[in-house]
Amino acid sequence: MNDATQIVRERATALLADGTVAAVVGWAAGRGDHDRHVFVARTPEEAALLVADQYCGALAAKRVLSLLDEGKIALVARGCESRAVNRFMADRQLKRDQVHVIGWPCPGMLDPATGDALKRCTECQRRNPVLSDEVVGDPVPEPELDRFAELERFEQKTPEERRAFFQDMYESCIRCYACRNACPCCTCRVCFVDQERVGWMGEEFTADQARYYGTVRAFHTGDRCIECGECQRVCPQHLPLMLLMHKQVRDIDGLFGPYPGGGMEPEGPDPLRTYHTDDLEEFM
Amino acid sequence: MIISKDNMGALADAIGATQTVYVPGTERAATRFVAHKKGEPVVLGGANVRMPPKDLLFPATEKMYRWKKHEGQLSLETEAAAHEPFTVLGVRPCDMASVAKLDLVFLTKGFVDEFYQARRDAATFVAVTCVDPDGDCFCEAMGVRLDAAPAADVLLVDRGGAYEAKPQTEKGEAAVAAWAEALGAGADAAAGDAVEAHCTLNPAAAKAEERLRAEDFDNVWHSVADYCLTCGTCTFECPTCYCFDISQDVRADEGARFRCWDSCMFTQYTLMAGNHNPRADRASRVRQRFMHKLRYFADRYGEGLCVGCGRCIRDCPAGVDIAAIIDAVATAPEHELTEAARTVQADEAKKEAAHV
Ligand code: SF4
Ligand code: SF4
Ligand code: SF4
Ligand code: SF4
Repeated sequence: MNDATQIVRERATALLADGTVAAVVGWAAGRGDHDRHVFVARTPEEAALLVADQYCGALAAKRVLSLLDEGKIALVARGCESRAVNRFMADRQLKRDQVHVIGWPCPGMLDPATGDALKRCTECQRRNPVLSDEVVGDPVPEPELDRFAELERFEQKTPEERRAFFQDMYESCIRCYACRNACPCCTCRVCFVDQERVGWMGEEFTADQARYYGTVRAFHTGDRCIECGECQRVCPQHLPLMLLMHKQVRDIDGLFGPYPGGGMEPEGPDPLRTYHTDDLEEFM
Repeated sequence: MIISKDNMGALADAIGATQTVYVPGTERAATRFVAHKKGEPVVLGGANVRMPPKDLLFPATEKMYRWKKHEGQLSLETEAAAHEPFTVLGVRPCDMASVAKLDLVFLTKGFVDEFYQARRDAATFVAVTCVDPDGDCFCEAMGVRLDAAPAADVLLVDRGGAYEAKPQTEKGEAAVAAWAEALGAGADAAAGDAVEAHCTLNPAAAKAEERLRAEDFDNVWHSVADYCLTCGTCTFECPTCYCFDISQDVRADEGARFRCWDSCMFTQYTLMAGNHNPRADRASRVRQRFMHKLRYFADRYGEGLCVGCGRCIRDCPAGVDIAAIIDAVATAPEHELTEAARTVQADEAKKEAAHV
């Protein structure tokens, strides 16, 4: 058992036993050697099943939101989970005193099938939690990674190639909405695609409908995206969803920056919803 | 008839001369059955395709009828029509078993779905024995044999370097006779023994079905609901999930009704007029999926609805594992009987008491 797992289990057991929290959100092991899934421990016995190692690929943070009725919730939080907590607070989904953050400086995650680093971990800007109530282990160095390489490669394409790229992407989307369900910014009570009576979204499985869904979701989350890459990780079709997100993050940084990305601080920064008299207004 | 594995491309070319033939390939970001192009190689071994052949019989979106208003007159035009013949080459035993289950749904119990039937009648299924089960395959536990596909028109038995083509229906007899003629000398190849393979994953499905009939497993559904995203990937990729929803596309004076795949994992699936939703919480939707796969379908049709292809395990983004759930149910400590089971037991006790 690695150190992080051991400490997480001890801390979770203590927090549950003394009644500080009603549940601890982390990960547990599945059938295969490297299978991990998000896990909610509600008793000290269940806390003994928690695992914190390099195969915990899923972003656990969003699960907290559905458990708030149960009481205060503890969350094992890496850099990305902690940024999600800031996101939730800025979006008025969570109050700081509803969550106990067990910070976990992240060693970087591996794909259980290939053993390679997860794509989002090769682009990560913050491995250490940006907020926490306690921390498991020592801080890790921040690797200063380039997250726009894929975008820059894409921008080399001609307009025709780009059109073909997106056509192919939206023809491949099966519209399962896993990307939305996993996204820490998608917290609307009723998503626009589910507003059946308004009928924003057609039911047919066509590239046009998928494009409409995909672009609206991308723009609706663009200035809040915490760049956890969870949408792309969960997409059963492995579609390059982070391209549109990175494009927006880089543009916001260039036009209204400096902008480090979503969820870095408890209240923003929130450039698209903050007005400055010296904002760029070239189009006016 | 024995056909060398190197000759699969030629076989597809020969079938393709008169009809569309679907073979394992890659399209729209996934391996699936794709229309064969003349001259391209065809390989039937290796990992099974990620998308099952379901959409060839039951497309994700299917027009049902159109309507038009013209000078006060309303006209209706059905989209149901006979389908051009086609062949699906290289279907695995698990997926062939799934077609037999779709047949039960769409063609039996007093109702025939004309859209499904048109495609089903037009299809010739050529199955291949499976020699490549992976760690998530558990079809044997679900009553499928890796060396048999009773619903197929032709079964290709893997004999090392070659396949032995065994017709299993009249359609299959005609197909194999036509292949022999088209392939000529290419049809004869040296064949070894039939390759035998077995699944390494064997969840206790029969035990689980029996217990799901008698006990509540709310603890299991709730613990799965703690991590399931209810995205529906599992149901879209499942070869046997058949739920659909009927919608319409209405323009000023014309419109069309179509149906498209739906999933019991979605909130909308059970949403009723007046906003009541009997399955609003995740746990009740998780319960529905597994109860339908492992028990309800068996109650209605006498066999389960899971063929053990492993797709929902491989592609679930949250790590939900039906094989692990089957075993969790089968091995859970004995607990509370369901209300229904209690009633049955009480009735039986009463009957016994009456006999005494
Ligand atoms: S997860 Fe992928 S396939 Fe599913 S809706 Fe999102 S983009 Fe489409
Ligand atoms: S079991 Fe997995 S694939 Fe199915 S709805 Fe839940 S998260 Fe999605
Ligand atoms: S439930 Fe899963 S394993 Fe069973 S048939 Fe469907 S996709 Fe395959
Ligand atoms: S109810 Fe759910 S599990 Fe059953 S066929 Fe429909 S989508 Fe599949």
